[in-house]
Amino acid sequence: MIDAGRLAAVMRKELIQFLRDRLMLFLIVYLYTVEILMCTYALSFDVRHLPTVVADFDRSAASRLLAERFRSSGYFDVNHQTTRDVEIAGLLNRGKALAALVIPPEFSRRLAAGTPVSVQLLLDGSNANTASVAQGYAQRIVQAYALERFQASVPEPPVLPVEHRPRIWYNSELKYAYFMVLSMIALAGMMVGVITTAAGIVREKESGTIEQMLVTPVRPAELLVAKMLPMLLVGLLALVPSLLIAAWVGVPMRGSLALFFLFSAVFLVSSMGIGILVATFADTLQQALLMSFFALFPVLFLSGTLVPVESMPVGFQYLAELSPLTHYMEAILGIFLKGVGMEVLWHSFAVIVLIAAVLLAGGILHLRRRMH
Amino acid sequence: MRSLIGAVMRKEVREIRRDPVTIWVAVALPLIMLYLFGSALSLDVKDASLAVYDQDDSAESRALIDAFPNSGYFRRAHEIRADTEIGPLLDRGQARLVLVIPSDFSQKLAAGKTAMVQTLVDGSFSATAMVIAGYAAAIIHAYNLERVHHAAAPVTVETRVWFNAPLKSVNYIVPGLFGVILMAFPPLLTALAVVREKEAGSVQQIFVSPIQPYQFIAGKMVPYAVIAFVEMLLILVAGLWGFGIPFRGSLLLFLAATTIYVVCTVGLGLLISTVTRSQLVAMLLALIVTLMPSFLFSGFLFPIFTMPEMMQMYTYLFPARYFIEIVRGILMKDVGLEVVWPQFALLLVYTAIVFAVATLQFRKKVA
Repeated sequence: MIDAGRLAAVMRKELIQFLRDRLMLFLIVYLYTVEILMCTYALSFDVRHLPTVVADFDRSAASRLLAERFRSSGYFDVNHQTTRDVEIAGLLNRGKALAALVIPPEFSRRLAAGTPVSVQLLLDGSNANTASVAQGYAQRIVQAYALERFQASVPEPPVLPVEHRPRIWYNSELKYAYFMVLSMIALAGMMVGVITTAAGIVREKESGTIEQMLVTPVRPAELLVAKMLPMLLVGLLALVPSLLIAAWVGVPMRGSLALFFLFSAVFLVSSMGIGILVATFADTLQQALLMSFFALFPVLFLSGTLVPVESMPVGFQYLAELSPLTHYMEAILGIFLKGVGMEVLWHSFAVIVLIAAVLLAGGILHLRRRMH
Repeated sequence: MRSLIGAVMRKEVREIRRDPVTIWVAVALPLIMLYLFGSALSLDVKDASLAVYDQDDSAESRALIDAFPNSGYFRRAHEIRADTEIGPLLDRGQARLVLVIPSDFSQKLAAGKTAMVQTLVDGSFSATAMVIAGYAAAIIHAYNLERVHHAAAPVTVETRVWFNAPLKSVNYIVPGLFGVILMAFPPLLTALAVVREKEAGSVQQIFVSPIQPYQFIAGKMVPYAVIAFVEMLLILVAGLWGFGIPFRGSLLLFLAATTIYVVCTVGLGLLISTVTRSQLVAMLLALIVTLMPSFLFSGFLFPIFTMPEMMQMYTYLFPARYFIEIVRGILMKDVGLEVVWPQFALLLVYTAIVFAVATLQFRKKVA
């Protein structure tokens, strides 16, 4: 069905055409380097150096020690001190402080007398995630402080019934950057695959050159393969700088590099399949771009690349299963952070291949119908 | 001279009406985007899968285990019988948290000694791993307190959350989306409207006509600004009714901010159109210059205070940051101009600069 000579000729034409397109090449390089670097460098959900105001109404050694514990934890930056309620509200309203620790006036006296006392933590909940993480940190700091005071105050302190040893697997320091790099690599692959393919095909449609191609002896399958191979090559090559960035950030590579490239190749093919699908629906470049722009945008960010799929509503979880990006993301997290191989990832692999096959078959059928 | 603005406007309105796809895109897609991101973009931990390895199997261990699903944050997904099962469960992502209770758990408790339990957290998604680890620690702490009620902790922390007491992600995602969605559509539609004329060559006719650059820009801009404003009202109503987010502050102030922001987004579209000649480039520029940064670098999802100093400065380049701060201030914090005036001022200055540069660019072309 596929004639090697013909294929090579078409492929040469496509490769030349593709490399001549400065804009697309720029887009690819930009997405795989600048965008990944900036996002990894800047974006995180980590809660560190939370701007905090301390209202110490007690001004005793004990209260200062507690405030010091907050400061030295690294999670809270105590950059404001006040004892006026209005000022606390003002700082929170203006967003100058995201947390406020209020130590009541009788704090040290009650501590010394052995009566329970509570300190108040006011949190700006406008970012719910930051607030709930900060709440956990504050609780741990106060608990540690309380335990220490307690053990110092009684001659024979009762032992703690249950002690808890937490261990974090795969990313023991919980560095968000690890996740971010991998997520941006996956996002870039999706955007490059869809946009370049859709733009490439629609542009030929618009200029009418696709009709010329269709009257040549070239078969639809050959045409698609010839269109996709150069992009696939460039897409895989473009992964190299982003891998270097990943290594520089310190992302561990626990699995097999070859497996990563294999997954990337089938994933790129499947995202090109989406590009072909877009191109079959669009008649003009503008339509194609609008479609890939807006239809893609939700797919990009709702495939487990920003927030885990399992925290989405159930209906969305099923939809996410249909997105090749979801499975690719799972696979590269597995390969890099967990060091798992095909024995765990075969399911993701099968789904991506299936999606790619369905999309490509659809594309070929559509092209063939146009020929007759 | 005003009539010239009107003429450009009438022409533009006619062109928009002739293109139903654009209207559909302008009205329906923002609503779809609001629905998708508003309901699915959440970092709240709920029903995270828990695997339990109970080597003790006593009343005490069961009480501790039951505290996990009872908290509402965890769902018991697996019972582990052997050490070797732990690794594969985490590897396959079938458990986010593994709780290991040793065989001497109840024995040690009875003897008044400290019993150890181990929790293993899947850290591959670090943002939720942090929350999961925090919840696990809190549950075990509560269990401890219950067992030693006679020795209450001397210091406790009492947390009060302001502005978003139920700590729901949707309450901060949706107001942020207002800023992002308005950066997605109006700039792009405006840029395409001008670049299309450039591609078709009809813009040359405008350059040789007696029309002034500012008149051309105003005439082009107004219809799209009106569309954008209607877009904003639609997503506001959808956000308030569909997602039940609070609106605590002044509607008037909100509309004032929206008006400035809408003009600003359309202005950015015009600016993009002055530096490009093809629709393709305009679209990619809109993607890289307006949509992506508004999504990633505006404080919409990723907090700005955790960014390195340099990147914090970078976020000032994108007006979405000012607008989102204003919107969150009005909707969630019920603050007025006395608090958000700096953002208002920055937004105004930004808009003025965008228009000045766009007009200058056009004048250069005419001359």
